[in-house]
Amino acid sequence: MTWQKRLARSKRNAGFMIARIHQDRKGPPEQPGGPFRGKRAFQMRNNKNPMIAALMASMLMAACGGGGSSSDDGDSPASTALNAGAGAPSGAKGSCDAQTRGVNWDALMTEVCPNLSDYKLFTDASDPTAGPTRGGVPYDLSTALFSDYTTKYRFVFVPEGKTVSFDESEALDFPVGTVITKTFALPANTAMRDGDELVIETRLLIHRTDGWMALPYYWSSETDATLAIAGKRLTDLSTINNQGQTLTFDYAVPKAADCTSCHSIVPNLTGPDDQREQIFLPIGPKARYLNKDFTYPDGTVYNQLQYWAEGELLSGLPADFNSVEKAAVFNDETNVASLSDSELNDKARAYLDINCAHCHRADLTLPEGYAGAAGSSGVQLEYNRRYADAPGKFGVCKDPVAGGKDGYPYDVIPGNADESYLQFRIETTDSRHKMPELGRSTVHQEGALLIRSWINQLPLASCSPVP
Amino acid sequence: MRQSHTFKKLLLITAMSGGLLLAGCDGDDGKDGKDGADGQSAGGEASSSLAVTTSGFAIPGDAILVAPDAVDGDDITEALSVALFDLPEDALVVLPKGRFVVTESIVVNSASGLTLTGHGIHETVLDFSTSNGDDAFRFQGGNGITVRDMAVYEAPKNGIKATNVNGIHMTYTATVWEGELEANNGAYGLYPLKSQNVLLENNYAFGSADAGIYVGQSENIVVRNNTAKQNVAGIEIENSTMADVYNNIAVGNSGGILVFDLPGLDKAFGGNVRIFNNHAYSNNAANVGAGVVGLVPPGTGALILATSDVEMYNNQLTDNATTAVAITSYLLVDDDLANYPANYGATMGDGWSPTLKNVYLHNNTIARNGDDPQGALLQPIIDGYGSNMNSKGSPQTFPAILYDGIGELLSNTGDLAGFNALVGPDAQADGVNYDPYGAGDQICANSNINANPAPAYDEVNTGLVYPDDPADVTQVDGEGNPLPHLLIDQMVNNTYLNCVQPRLAPAVVNFRNNIYGCTGDDLAEAACAL
Repeated sequence: MTWQKRLARSKRNAGFMIARIHQDRKGPPEQPGGPFRGKRAFQMRNNKNPMIAALMASMLMAACGGGGSSSDDGDSPASTALNAGAGAPSGAKGSCDAQTRGVNWDALMTEVCPNLSDYKLFTDASDPTAGPTRGGVPYDLSTALFSDYTTKYRFVFVPEGKTVSFDESEALDFPVGTVITKTFALPANTAMRDGDELVIETRLLIHRTDGWMALPYYWSSETDATLAIAGKRLTDLSTINNQGQTLTFDYAVPKAADCTSCHSIVPNLTGPDDQREQIFLPIGPKARYLNKDFTYPDGTVYNQLQYWAEGELLSGLPADFNSVEKAAVFNDETNVASLSDSELNDKARAYLDINCAHCHRADLTLPEGYAGAAGSSGVQLEYNRRYADAPGKFGVCKDPVAGGKDGYPYDVIPGNADESYLQFRIETTDSRHKMPELGRSTVHQEGALLIRSWINQLPLASCSPVP
Repeated sequence: MRQSHTFKKLLLITAMSGGLLLAGCDGDDGKDGKDGADGQSAGGEASSSLAVTTSGFAIPGDAILVAPDAVDGDDITEALSVALFDLPEDALVVLPKGRFVVTESIVVNSASGLTLTGHGIHETVLDFSTSNGDDAFRFQGGNGITVRDMAVYEAPKNGIKATNVNGIHMTYTATVWEGELEANNGAYGLYPLKSQNVLLENNYAFGSADAGIYVGQSENIVVRNNTAKQNVAGIEIENSTMADVYNNIAVGNSGGILVFDLPGLDKAFGGNVRIFNNHAYSNNAANVGAGVVGLVPPGTGALILATSDVEMYNNQLTDNATTAVAITSYLLVDDDLANYPANYGATMGDGWSPTLKNVYLHNNTIARNGDDPQGALLQPIIDGYGSNMNSKGSPQTFPAILYDGIGELLSNTGDLAGFNALVGPDAQADGVNYDPYGAGDQICANSNINANPAPAYDEVNTGLVYPDDPADVTQVDGEGNPLPHLLIDQMVNNTYLNCVQPRLAPAVVNFRNNIYGCTGDDLAEAACAL
């Protein structure tokens, strides 16, 4: 098990970021966003610690150079793109043993390597929470999938010379070669996520020429993570939650095959000769979840989408930035009791979307003829589904179809979360009933409270208790 | 205060290549041999086969062996997960012989041509009673997948689920929850969902708290030669199209064979379901289910709920304490018509309808049903037939064929015509409407055989809760709404449901380019000539 202290790590927060993007600019980016947004977005916060700043500078130097398998090793990149000098897949078969100076792109594209370090994604191979190899960009989401209270460290690596294409509703369109890393670390105390934490696993999403695939790596030692095709179950982990309670639970590193359960959309087979297959997709990096400020390692605070766009990593960002969908922020610090009805609704819808709608989705902005893996259930919880059009799609007054449980007559009973099967399912850890099916071994108390409050303030329906 | 965790090395994940899985055969001598007559053999592989399953399936020499050296009680989770990840096309994966523990769900994605076999339905048993997962097996996507010669015990949720597969074949496979039928037994046993070309045969499903053999939202389906015992629902075909269910046994369930169209599902409705030459008997288990299936009255031989275009014939329906066959609209489940647009408007737009049309029961053998009718759903109806409050004015043996009639009546009176505005264009094109029933829409029960022994011979009845003809309505409430009439008459030489319908087309399953069912490998099967 790897215990890491953020303090110890902070000096390794290698400033791969290209601060000049911001320094070189003469004024705010051209965008019609409100003055507040523009001002805030452009605010820069320098690192208060000159020592660390100097360290970062030296690390930046050290990290420069290698383009992996690209041919321009050693040349200083002419481009100002965030992924300048990152290198790119060569198209040749890779090797897990290759000694690349940058990311081992070719291995990522063709090999299932036994160790995470084989891919050379982090400057310090023992630390997947910071210091990505040249070209890697950290990001986070406004509202995230609950994963047993872990803190997640996300990086995206886009091959040099490639850009991500904007999509207004679905996951951004990442080019072939893209690698997304997500590291899960359980904090000792969820109220102090900068403190001690247990780094458990790092998952890779790799966009190969034949589509996305996923690999789970388990931090089997202090120094490296090991491929875990069959997953890994850790027993009796514990954390102290924001309410000061000690929670103890098992934690399941998913099997490689499990990744597809959440990450795919499936064809509605239309006839006996329909041979279409499911399509594997990222879930989190959608515009609405990226559309928020992020504190970059050099202290810059900037809207992620704009940062990517100005860093030539993202193309197609609408000129009217206000038109970009923005999901509400929900996290364990959110005080649900103090939310207005509309805030509650916004946050609950974001929470249901990111926690449920990768499976519970159909139609809307999906490719024609595809649905989420639980599209067949009839419960659809997408962020951009209009509630008023069909409350039944949210489970309102809908009989549970598969399963069900005595005492919970409908999936959602507006005004009566206590007897809503959906509420029960997010509050149980019984694998017969729990939702989501994967990636949750303990109850997300804060999230459950959010949904409970949302159900209880929904407009009453025919199955609601008589007021 | 945080305990430190001892790190245990992953079990030889890196050895996943070759050695671990492809270890040579341990020289099974095949002494358990074949005892099945009709199992499909692997063809000309016999000379090089490693073993022959009890159903007669010859395992070829190049099969991938999972944990071949495992002994009874071993946990084979890891070997199984690794073997089923990233499979080559047309892989044949063999589970060892014995009873083994599996502690996680086994998920298989987009497998093409996979055969997963054990050594026999009794010879290879996987025990999921300590599993941390939910389903025992889940096949997601893929085509041409066979599961055979194995048994799955005590899955925490579903037994063997297959979603969005084109070509799923389960044979000589069991899903079992041992002991009493209890609410916390697993949900579905054999569970193809949203699939095409579904072939379920020679299987055994026991102890499911939902449906033992369940096909949902699928098309082109053959379910034959299976036994479903002591489940809430024995065999259930739900929102599925082109299904043949024949030569099965459903015994000891709460409901033997169910054909359902439920609201709100992605595939809004099914139809063209043929149920024939099955034996559904003594389906009298207490109903421990939840949701809609929890409403099935214990003692139901077969239940057709809100599904149109169903033909049920030449079945033996005996010893079911409530009724042999119930045919009912969804109004029996939810009579709050005023809220249908709010609660079901979207799914009605997609073509789901609470009514059912063109259900044809014929040549079924019906005996010894209805001696102890039960079920909260039917209680007022049971009370009425058991008292003077029915059309005969005296207590009657509960109808062996029970039709609610209310959906048809309200269609015929025009009371449901307002729903027509909800029906979307695609559903309209499929003929979904709330117009008065034409001849082709009628529910018919004809030429069914009363097999009761004397002196109970006269006690096989057909009952209509509501008359289907508005002219026959004689009892209304203060607002003019029809009241239950509880019509009843003998089933033979019948007054009620005395009509015939055209026969339905057989289902065709194309699995790995072979045709199964009555137009395929069962051309010569007697049931297919009925």
